[in-house]
Amino acid sequence: MDSSNDEALDIIVTNVVATFRTRCHLNLRTIALEGTNVIYKPEVGKVLMKLRKPMITASIWSSGKIICTGATSEDEAKLGARRLARCLQKLGFKVRFSAFKVVNVLAVCSMPFAVHLIDFTKNNRPIASYEPELHPAATYRIKNLKATIQVFSTGSLTVTGPNVQNVATAVEQVYPLLFECQKPLCK
Amino acid sequence: MSSKVCKNCGSSDIDVDQARGDAVCMGCGSVLEDNIIVSEVEFVETGGGGSLAVGQFVSAEAGAKHPSFGDVHFTGRESRAQTLQKAKQHINTLGHQLQMNQHCLDTAFNFYKMALTKHLTRGRKASHVIAACLYLVCRTEGTPHMLLDLSDLLQVNVYILGRTFLVLARELCINAPAIDPCLYIPRFAQLLEFGEKNHDVSMTALRLVQRMKRDWMHTGRRPSGLCGAALLVAARMHDFRRTIKEIVSVVKVCETTLRKRLIEFEDTPTSQLTIEEFMKMDLDQECDPPCYTAGLKKQKARQLEMELKKKMEDVEEEIHGYEDEIDAELQSSRPKLRGVYAAYAKEDCENDDDDILSTSSKVADDEEPEDEDELQAVAKHFGKDIEELTLEALIKLEQRRTEEEEEEEEQEEDVPKRKGPSLESILGTMPSAATLGLSESLNSCMGEEKENDGAADSGELDLSGIDDSEIELYLLDDKEIKIKTALWMAENSDYLKEQREKEAKIAKEKELGIYKEKKPKGPAKRRPPIRASTADEAIGKMLEQKKISSKINYDVLKDLNIKPGASPARKAESPKKEPSVTRLTGRNRTPARTPLSLSTPLSTLGKRLQPFIAGQPNKKLAVEQVANSNPLPLPVGAPASGVVVESGPVMYDDAAADEEEEDEEETCVSAMELMGSNDYGCDGDYDDGF
Repeated sequence: MDSSNDEALDIIVTNVVATFRTRCHLNLRTIALEGTNVIYKPEVGKVLMKLRKPMITASIWSSGKIICTGATSEDEAKLGARRLARCLQKLGFKVRFSAFKVVNVLAVCSMPFAVHLIDFTKNNRPIASYEPELHPAATYRIKNLKATIQVFSTGSLTVTGPNVQNVATAVEQVYPLLFECQKPLCK
Repeated sequence: MSSKVCKNCGSSDIDVDQARGDAVCMGCGSVLEDNIIVSEVEFVETGGGGSLAVGQFVSAEAGAKHPSFGDVHFTGRESRAQTLQKAKQHINTLGHQLQMNQHCLDTAFNFYKMALTKHLTRGRKASHVIAACLYLVCRTEGTPHMLLDLSDLLQVNVYILGRTFLVLARELCINAPAIDPCLYIPRFAQLLEFGEKNHDVSMTALRLVQRMKRDWMHTGRRPSGLCGAALLVAARMHDFRRTIKEIVSVVKVCETTLRKRLIEFEDTPTSQLTIEEFMKMDLDQECDPPCYTAGLKKQKARQLEMELKKKMEDVEEEIHGYEDEIDAELQSSRPKLRGVYAAYAKEDCENDDDDILSTSSKVADDEEPEDEDELQAVAKHFGKDIEELTLEALIKLEQRRTEEEEEEEEQEEDVPKRKGPSLESILGTMPSAATLGLSESLNSCMGEEKENDGAADSGELDLSGIDDSEIELYLLDDKEIKIKTALWMAENSDYLKEQREKEAKIAKEKELGIYKEKKPKGPAKRRPPIRASTADEAIGKMLEQKKISSKINYDVLKDLNIKPGASPARKAESPKKEPSVTRLTGRNRTPARTPLSLSTPLSTLGKRLQPFIAGQPNKKLAVEQVANSNPLPLPVGAPASGVVVESGPVMYDDAAADEEEEDEEETCVSAMELMGSNDYGCDGDYDDGF
C-alpha cells in the first residue's frame, strides 16, 4: 500500500490494548481463588487473568474496569474481552459489557533500506527527535493522528497509535520522508 | 510638577520645595501637594565623617528581593520573583560544578524563564527542570557535557532527566543539534592524561571517529561508546597502554560495549590498514551499519536452513521409495505361517480403514507430529504386544528418516515381519488416526453455535462466537477451589496478617474513640454559612465547626462573656474589631484567606494594613475569623448585631465592609485595646462608618 514502492510493506500488528467496564464491583479474591490462569496482586489491587484462545492478558480491578492486552487485532481484542466477561459472569458477578474501547495499537514494519537518522531528524524538526544517549531510535510524532513512530537505523519501525487505521496511515505518511534519507546499501 | 495652576486661585506661581516635598501656591498659600516623591540622591553622614548614599541597589531582574516593609506577605508577583531567584541560584551552583561559563548560565536561566511562563515546571521536580535547562544549553552551545554528568551530580536516573529534557526541547521549540562524538574526544583525552602527546592522540582519535561515522557505526549508539573505542585504539597506536578498565571509568560505558565497538570496527575494511596508511589515506568505500549486516546474516542463515530442509525432504522421499520396494519384495518372499496373522491383520486393516475414511476428510496430512496418536491407535489394535509394538513402531519411524537403518530393518524382521504390512498399512494412513483425537474438539467446535446461553445477561454482552464449555475450562471446580484457597492462604499469609493487624488497630481505636477515619481527600467542602441569631451563637457554632487553635486562650474567651453590653461605639467597633483582631491573632492564616473583591487591593498593601480591612464580602470568612478573634466582640455581641446587620443573622455585607474600610486605614489597633481595655478614644474615627 505504498505509492512509490512495488512491494507492499508488511505492517504487522503485534499488540492491541483495549479497556472495558463491567459496571459492577468485582471481588478480586473470588476471582483469584476460583479461576485458573490468574495472578493476584493484592498490593497493587488487581488480578491478572490470562486467556489462551485469543492469547490475551487482562488486568482486572475491583471497580470493574478491565484492561485487555496482547491481542493481535482489534476483533480479537473484542472477542477476548467478551470471553473474559463471560468468564466473570460464570463466576457469579452481574457483568455488563460496556464501554469497550481500543486504546492502543502497536505495529512493526521494516523498510527495505537503512535510514540515516541524523539527516532524518534534521529534515523533520521539531516533529522528529533523536537522542542517541537515551534511545537508539529517532521518534517521530504525528499530532493529528496521535501516532508515534520510532525509526531505527536499520530501517525497522515500530508504530503506536489509537487504532489500526491510524497506524497504517502513519506509516504511509512517514515512508516518503524516510525514503529521502535512506542509506544506499553497498552489500 | 503636574500642578502648574493652583486649583483655588488659579495662579500659576507655585513653589515646589524639593527638600520638604511640598508644592505651595504663592498666591493663596494653599498647599497643593504634600509628600512629593523625590528622585534625588541623598547622602547621610556616617560615623567617621564620611558620607554614604542613601538607598539600595535594585537589580533590573525581578529576582531581587523587595525591601520589606516589615511584612512577610507575598503576592503572586513576588512569588514568581522568588522562584526565579531560587532557580538562578541552583543553575549557578550546578553550572559552576560543571565548569560552565557565565554566558551559558545566563542562557540557561533564560530557558528556565521561558519554561516557567509556559507552565512546564508544574508537576516536575525543580532540580530536573533546571538540569534539563542546563543540558539544553550544553547542546546548543556544543559543550562536551553529557547528560550522564548531570545525572551523576543530581543522583537521578538518566532517562528521567532525558524525558524532561525532551519535553522541554519540544515545548520550547529548541532544536538541539545532534551530538557529535568528536565533541567528547578532547574532554576524554584530557582525563586519560596523555601528557605531551595529548594533541596527537586526540587527532588520531578524531580521525578514527570520523571513519566510524562513515562506516555507519555511530547511528543509534551512544557517542561516548564510540569515543571510548576510538581513544583506545589511538592510545595503542601511539604506544600508550591504556587498559579497557581505565577507559571505561572515564567514558562511562561498560566493557562489553567497548569490546563490541572494537569488534565492529574490526569488521570494517579500514581496520586492515596499517597505522601509516591510515594516517595518510582514507578509504572511499562505506559500510553498512553493523546491526544491518547482522540482520542480513540471520536472513542468510534462515535461507540456508530452508534449502537444507528441502534437500532433506527430497532425500526422505527417495528413502520411502526404496522402503516400499523392499517391503514389496519381502512380502512376496514371506513364509506361510503368516497366513493366520495375515487374515487377522487384514481384518483390522479393514476396520481401521472404515474408521479412518470417515474422518480422514477432515484432516490434513501431517505425519511427524502425530507420532503419539499413531502409537496409541496402533497399541489399541494390537493390545497384547503393546511394548513391542511401540518399540518397533518407533524403530519404523526412525528408519524412515535415516538411510542407514534400512538394512537393519531387513535383518531384524522376524516377529515384526508378521505384523509388518499391517503396521505399514495402518501407519501409512495413520495421520488420519490423529483425527480420532481431534474429533472431540471438532465436535465441540461445531456444536458451539448452539450454546448461546444468554443466561441472566443484562442484554449487553454479545455471546456470539464464545464457547461456553471452553470458558468452563477457565474456572476451577469445588475441589480445586479448596486446594487453591489453601495454597493461596499459605502464600499470602504475610499480607493477610498485615491486613488483620490493620483491622484490629482500627477496631481498637474505634473503641477508644480516637479513631480518625482516613477518608480520601475529596474536593474540599465549602461549609454552609452559620446562621445564628446572635454573635454569641455564631461564635459558638464556629468553634464547634472549626478546629481549635493553639494560639488562642479559649478560657479567656469564655470569661469575657460575662462583661455587659457596651456603648454604641463598641457596637460599631465590634464588627470591625472582630475581623481586625482576627487578623493579628490569626496572622499566619490570613494570607490563605485573602478575600477576593473589595478587600483584595487593600490586602496587597501589606499585612499591617489588613487589620483595618473589616467585614468581608465573603461571609464565611468573617464567620470563621470571628472564632479566632479575641474575646472582645463577645460582650458587645448582642447589641452589636442589631446595629451592624439589618437582618437577623449575623452576616457581614458589603455595605458595612465598604464604610469600614475607608476609615480604618490610618490607625493601628494596639494589643491593649484589643484585649478589652476601656480606652475607646479612637472610636470617634470608627463612628463615621455608620
